[in-house]
Amino acid sequence: MSLFGAMDASTSALQAQRLRLNVTAENIANAESVGYRRKDVVLRQATGGGGFADALQAAKGVEVAAVVADQDPQRRVLDPTHPDADAQGYVTLPNVDSVTEMTELISASRSYEANVTAMQTAKTLFSRTLELLR
Amino acid sequence: MQLFDLTQRSLHAALHGAAVRQNALAANIANVDTPGYRRVDVDFQDALRRTLAGDARAVEALEVTPVPDMRAVAVRQDGNTVDIDREATEQATNGLTYQALVSVINAREAIIKSAIGVA
Repeated sequence: MSLFGAMDASTSALQAQRLRLNVTAENIANAESVGYRRKDVVLRQATGGGGFADALQAAKGVEVAAVVADQDPQRRVLDPTHPDADAQGYVTLPNVDSVTEMTELISASRSYEANVTAMQTAKTLFSRTLELLR
Repeated sequence: MQLFDLTQRSLHAALHGAAVRQNALAANIANVDTPGYRRVDVDFQDALRRTLAGDARAVEALEVTPVPDMRAVAVRQDGNTVDIDREATEQATNGLTYQALVSVINAREAIIKSAIGVA
């Protein structure tokens, strides 16, 4: 086990948080798209290789379990002139709430920064170890 | 007579322990948003102390693994026990411990080198 394990864990988190940022950006981009449902990223602890040693080895990164559609009800707005209006004159607009997306955006970006810091620490330690060879 | 005394070998074991702990703390920070994640930690100081109190020769074979921290309380509704402020502090502390260990190992090895006349 080396310090590269720490950097691998941080890398997996950077990827996961970046995906969260991308999905949140997609939600905001589609805030007015008819029929769209906001998406959510579900994270879980990385399982590693799946062997017995991997199961014992508790320190692993994170992985994306799924990107799921939020099942909250969509907004129904009365707009009979809209081309996508149904028989009753209602248009189905997304369940995207800008406040939720903004907090999600800040949360993902802060987590990203935390992992960058963790990786920098691991990098510093690794270069310190190289001093042992001098 | 050995080239490396018990202190030097203990320092190597501690350095390894600090590296394992750094990995555990990185995994915790990586899982800060994972629902239900339990933080893991390594108590290598305690493992080292117990080894030195018993058969000190076993210090080279000392192996530490991260274990789930059962004392940590959930900080979120979903049961995640990672407190990001705590992890950041622990990581900074552990990093300084690691750097201190490297410095001490370097200094002691410099003494050995000068004693055997290679430096």
